[in-house]
Amino acid sequence: MKTSAKRILPRLWQSMERGGITISLAALLISLVCSAVILAVCGYDPLEAYAAIVTGAFGSQRGFAQMLTQATPLIFTGLAFTFAKKASLINLGVEGQMYMGALGAALVGTLDLGLPSLLHVLAAMLSGVIFGAAYGAVIGILKVKFGSNEVVAGVMLNSIATYIVGYLLNGPLLAAGSSVAQTEKVLTTAQLPRIFARYQVTVAIFIAIAACILIKWFIGKTTLGYEIRCVGLNRKAAETAGIRIGKALIVAMCVSGGIAGLAGVNQVLGVDRRLINSFSPGYGFNGIAVAALAADDPIGVIFAGVICGILRAGAMELNRTTGIPVEFVDVIQAMIVIFVSAPLLIKKLAKVRDVFPGGKKHAAAKEA
Amino acid sequence: MQIILTYLIPILGSTVYMATPLIFAGVGGAFSVRGGVMALGLESMLMCGAFCGVAGSFYTGSTAVGFLCGILGGTLIALLHAILCVRYRVNQVISGVGLNLLATAATTLMMQVIWNNKGSSEMVASVESMIGGPIPILNVQSFNFFVMLAVVALGWVTLFRTRYGLRLRMVGENPKAASAVGLRVHALKYSGVLICGALAGYGGAFLSLDQLNMFVRGMTAGRGYIAVAIVILGRYNPVNIVACALLFGFCDAVQIYLQGQGVPAQLIQMLPYLVTLIVLAVGVKRIQPPAGVGKHETD
Repeated sequence: MKTSAKRILPRLWQSMERGGITISLAALLISLVCSAVILAVCGYDPLEAYAAIVTGAFGSQRGFAQMLTQATPLIFTGLAFTFAKKASLINLGVEGQMYMGALGAALVGTLDLGLPSLLHVLAAMLSGVIFGAAYGAVIGILKVKFGSNEVVAGVMLNSIATYIVGYLLNGPLLAAGSSVAQTEKVLTTAQLPRIFARYQVTVAIFIAIAACILIKWFIGKTTLGYEIRCVGLNRKAAETAGIRIGKALIVAMCVSGGIAGLAGVNQVLGVDRRLINSFSPGYGFNGIAVAALAADDPIGVIFAGVICGILRAGAMELNRTTGIPVEFVDVIQAMIVIFVSAPLLIKKLAKVRDVFPGGKKHAAAKEA
Repeated sequence: MQIILTYLIPILGSTVYMATPLIFAGVGGAFSVRGGVMALGLESMLMCGAFCGVAGSFYTGSTAVGFLCGILGGTLIALLHAILCVRYRVNQVISGVGLNLLATAATTLMMQVIWNNKGSSEMVASVESMIGGPIPILNVQSFNFFVMLAVVALGWVTLFRTRYGLRLRMVGENPKAASAVGLRVHALKYSGVLICGALAGYGGAFLSLDQLNMFVRGMTAGRGYIAVAIVILGRYNPVNIVACALLFGFCDAVQIYLQGQGVPAQLIQMLPYLVTLIVLAVGVKRIQPPAGVGKHETD
C-alpha cells in the first residue's frame, strides 16, 4: 500500500507539473492571500469575506444558479482566449467579439422568421457565431496582412464594438417605449431554454462544456489543429514545414471570435432575453484569467470558469451584504493572470524544491 | 477666414491639449521599448498615475503634490512590470495586460474605499489657469505644455545623444552583446521601464488633474493602448512620437467638437479608435522594433 502510494504520488505530481496545474493552483492561492491583505488594509475582514463568497455561491439554490450563470460566459471567453493562445496570439478582442456575437443573435432572435423553435434558436446562435468569428477574423487579417500588433488592434476593436452596439441600441434597434438602451425581447421561439424556471442559468452551460471538449479534440486530433499548434510553438519551423502561417493565424482568430460570440449569444438568447447596452461586466477580460488558471488547456477551462464563476457570484452576494465592490474579484483575477505567467516567481515564493525527477527539466522548458 | 478663426483654431488648440498625455506616455514608451521591454503596460501606468494624482491632491490639497503622486503611481506599476519582465522573465505582453487589468480593478476598489463611490472621485484641487496671451492655440494650454516640450527634448537628447541612451539602445537591440561588453543589462532595463512609468504617471495625472479635476472609473479609456500604437508609429523616437500623438489628439478634438452637432454621439466617439486601427493597418508594416525586445541576456 505504502509502496504504491510512493509510486503513484510522484507520477501524479509530474503529470500535474507537466500540465501546469501546480503553477495555476499556487497562483490562485497566492492571489487569494494577496487579495486578503488588500481587503484587510481596506478595513474589511478577509476571512469573513471569503466565507461569504463560498456561502454566496453554494449556500442557496439561487446562489448556485447564479454561479452557473456567471460561469457560462466565462467558460466561453476563457476558451476563446485559450484557443488563440494556442497559435501564440493574445486575443484581447474577446470582449468586442462577444458584443458582436450578442448583436448577431439579437438581430436574428428579434426577427419573426416563422421558423419552428429549434431552428430559430439555431439560426440566431449561428448568426451570433458568424458575427463573432468575422470580428475576430479582422484582427487576424490585420495581423497577417498588415503586421499590426494584435493586442492593440483587439482593444481598439473592443471600443469600436461597444460604440457600434451602443449606437444601434440608442437608435435603430431601440425597443419601442423603452427608456433603457435595449432591443425588443427575443421571440419565444429563439430563446435558449433555462434549466431552472426561476433562474437565469441556461442550457448554454452544457454547450460551453461541449465546446471545450470539442476544441480539445480539434487541437489535439485534427490536421488544422496541429498546424495551429505548430504555428504557436515555433512560427519559423512551421513555415519551413510548409504550413501556411497566415491561414493558421486567421483561422485561429476566426474560431476564437466565434467562441467569444457564443458568450454574447447566451446573454442575449438566454440570460437577459434581449440585448442590453453594456450587458457585460468585462467577461471578455475575465476570460484571460480563466485561460491563465486553466493553464491553457481547454478541459481546464471548464473548471477554471467555474472557479471564477464562484468568485463572481459570491462577490455579488458579498456586495449586497457588506458593500465590498464586485471589482474586488477582478483584482483577484488580474493577480491570477500575473502570477500564472510568472512560474519563476511562484517557485521562489513557494520555495518549491524540485524533489521529483523531471521537475527541473520542466521548469527549464517553461522558462524558455 | 472667419471659418478658420471660429473652428480651426479652437480645434487645433484642443488637439495639442488632448495630445499632451499621449506624448508623455509615448515618450515614456520609447524609453521602455528602446531598452527592450514592450510597453503594453502603459494603460495601467496612465491609470495609476491618474488615480494617485487625484488621491495626492485630495489628501494634501496641492496640485503639485498630486502630480508628484501621479509620477510615483506610474513608477510603482513600472517597477512591478520591470520586476516581472526582467527579473522573473514573464512574457511581456501577458505582464502588461495583467497589470492593465489589475490597475482598472484596483483603482475602482480604492475609489470605493476612499470616496465611497466607485463611479468617480470627489473634485480635487487641479490645474486651473491657462497660459493666456496673444498666441492662438498656445493660449489655451496650461503650464504642462512647457513640461511636455521639455520632456520631448530631454527624451530625444537622452536617447540619442548621451552615453546612457546609447547603452540603453544597445541593451534593447542585443542584450547578449550588451552583457558581453560589460553593460549592466538588468539595471539599464529597469531604468528604461521606470522612466516610462514616471512619464506615463505624469501623463495620467495630466488626464485627471489638468483635463479634469477628478478620477473617473476607467478614465484612460484605452489611451494607453493608443499610446502603444503611437510609440510604434513614431518609430520609438520622441520627436516622431509628438507628430503621431498630434494626429490622435486631432481626432479627439474633432470628436469632442462634433458632439452635439446632430451626429450620433457613439459614432463620433468611435473616431479615435477607428483611426488608430486604420493607422495600425496601413502605417506600421515596415517598422521594425528594436531587435532585442523580449529577449534576455542569456538567450
